[in-house]
Amino acid sequence: MKKLYIILALLTLSVTALAQSGRSLYNKYSDLPGMEAVYISPAMFRMMGKIPDVEFQDGNVNFSPIIKSMSGFYLLNATDPKVGAELYAEVKKFIDKGQYELLMEAKDNGEVARIYSMGDEKTVSSLVMLAQEGNETAFISIDGQMDREELENILAQAAAE
Amino acid sequence: MKTLDEIARLTAEDLERIGSDENIPVPEDLKVSLPKRNPEHAWRIAAAVALLIGIGVSGYLGYREPKDTFDDPYLAYAAVEKAMNKMAGTVQYGAAKVSETELALEKINYWK
Repeated sequence: MKKLYIILALLTLSVTALAQSGRSLYNKYSDLPGMEAVYISPAMFRMMGKIPDVEFQDGNVNFSPIIKSMSGFYLLNATDPKVGAELYAEVKKFIDKGQYELLMEAKDNGEVARIYSMGDEKTVSSLVMLAQEGNETAFISIDGQMDREELENILAQAAAE
Repeated sequence: MKTLDEIARLTAEDLERIGSDENIPVPEDLKVSLPKRNPEHAWRIAAAVALLIGIGVSGYLGYREPKDTFDDPYLAYAAVEKAMNKMAGTVQYGAAKVSETELALEKINYWK
């Protein structure tokens, strides 16, 4: 009987750990008032993959190859400071529990933006950005099989624009 | 008194008829006691049920597929591109801070 309890406890723990994902956070916060939310499904990414190489917006950086290796996109932008603080704390908890590493951090006058990645040396399977600017809190989570070198080059290229 | 073989051969109807026959006396020394329920077992069962419900609900709430924000892949593409540019902005800010620091260090080294 004790074994059963242990199994159930482990099952609960694993489900709780799994539940801490971009999707669970999106499901929890996306319908709240004052929340801007964008979700792009794997099916939509497959459709985007069929778009012929397009004329690029916002400068000359071609995001197309990296976008085509993505499979899920979640964006939450909270304008309510209370909801934003709650979202920030929950994302931080999710980041700290996961196998994310800090890729970039920028702080200025109390504003902070951090980019985290998860994966191995060659591939990024999850990219997360968490930013707090004034009363706004933004959370972006991107899933996929992105080539790490290509992703870093594209971001550096875009940053140089 | 019936033998065990005779009792085994009785049908359900026979048993029902015998049971409802009030002429058959109940032995005075007959004691029937149902096993007592262990309250601890009830709690364990309740806890297991609650856990299973919790797992089911959290699983459903956490993993239900959200609705796509865009129907048009071009709009979806533009949204992702905008997000990537926002990330690039953070990288740019970080790089600018590194350059500023490097410049400051160069100045310090110059005056040494």
